[in-house]
Amino acid sequence: MKKIFPFIILFALLTLLGRELLYANPNKFTTSLAGETVPNFQLNNILSEHQFFNHKDLIGQISLLNVWATWCYACKIEMPMLMEIKEKFHIPIFGIAYKDDPYDVKMWLQKFGDPYRLIGDDKNGNVAIDLGIYGTPETFVINAEGKIIYRHIGVLDRKTWETVLYPLIKKL
Amino acid sequence: MGNRIVSFDKKIMNHLKSFWYLILIFLIYLNCASTLFASEDLYPFHSSSDATRFSSLTKEIRCVVCQNQNLAESNAPLANDLRNKIYYMVLAKQSNSEIESYLVKRYGEFILLKPRFNITTFMLWIFPFAAILISLYRFYMLR
Repeated sequence: MKKIFPFIILFALLTLLGRELLYANPNKFTTSLAGETVPNFQLNNILSEHQFFNHKDLIGQISLLNVWATWCYACKIEMPMLMEIKEKFHIPIFGIAYKDDPYDVKMWLQKFGDPYRLIGDDKNGNVAIDLGIYGTPETFVINAEGKIIYRHIGVLDRKTWETVLYPLIKKL
Repeated sequence: MGNRIVSFDKKIMNHLKSFWYLILIFLIYLNCASTLFASEDLYPFHSSSDATRFSSLTKEIRCVVCQNQNLAESNAPLANDLRNKIYYMVLAKQSNSEIESYLVKRYGEFILLKPRFNITTFMLWIFPFAAILISLYRFYMLR
């Protein structure tokens, strides 16, 4: 037993190492904000007739909060999926334009379509920091009480929508 | 004649030496002054304790989008935003633990270069000591 003991420890350590190397998902970030109300914010609304977009607008319906920018290449990739979510699934999507130019945002939405109900102009990135953003795009699932249920980092593609976000929304 | 040339060369060499020393001192001064004044200009504080607190906090917090850099050293846009956030939190007289909790809540324990001791990090802290103790014990037993 004494002779085997070091090998058991070595085996356990190698198993842990193998698990981290092969099965860890580097895109999976945890947020302790899950289950908490969206931090208070008030931003200028870029497009529609509402003057502002604030945290209270997220209360009353299950919605997606998408942090994006026109200068972000990945955001262009997820735009058709966001349009489909709006048109087919009728889930309201709210946007936060991260460190962007409102003019560029308007031009972009004219070109690629507008999936957003309201778009806040987060010029200096303060709201993004309050949400714990690493980069764009990131999408939060918000419940009817305005609480963060899930956070997705990166492009929201069909697979993520069909296997993760939509099943989660259906359960709410 | 030969001696004159030698002494002339020595003089030139001495002048050159002092010239290079002067340049070196000037460069060191410039380096220190620029970092000092730059940080003071960008993040002015009313008290030196706040300035020290800000400086130590930015050194203890990781730039989450960089490879092993703290906030103070990083020029990444996100690091800059986090520095600004910490600056305003320090100005608002929030304590170090409040600022750390705010950041950990959003970016995880990973953001602290020196993780706090709690249920998720206790293995990290205890394992090296446990490993030393076990090896010492085994070493002692084998003798």
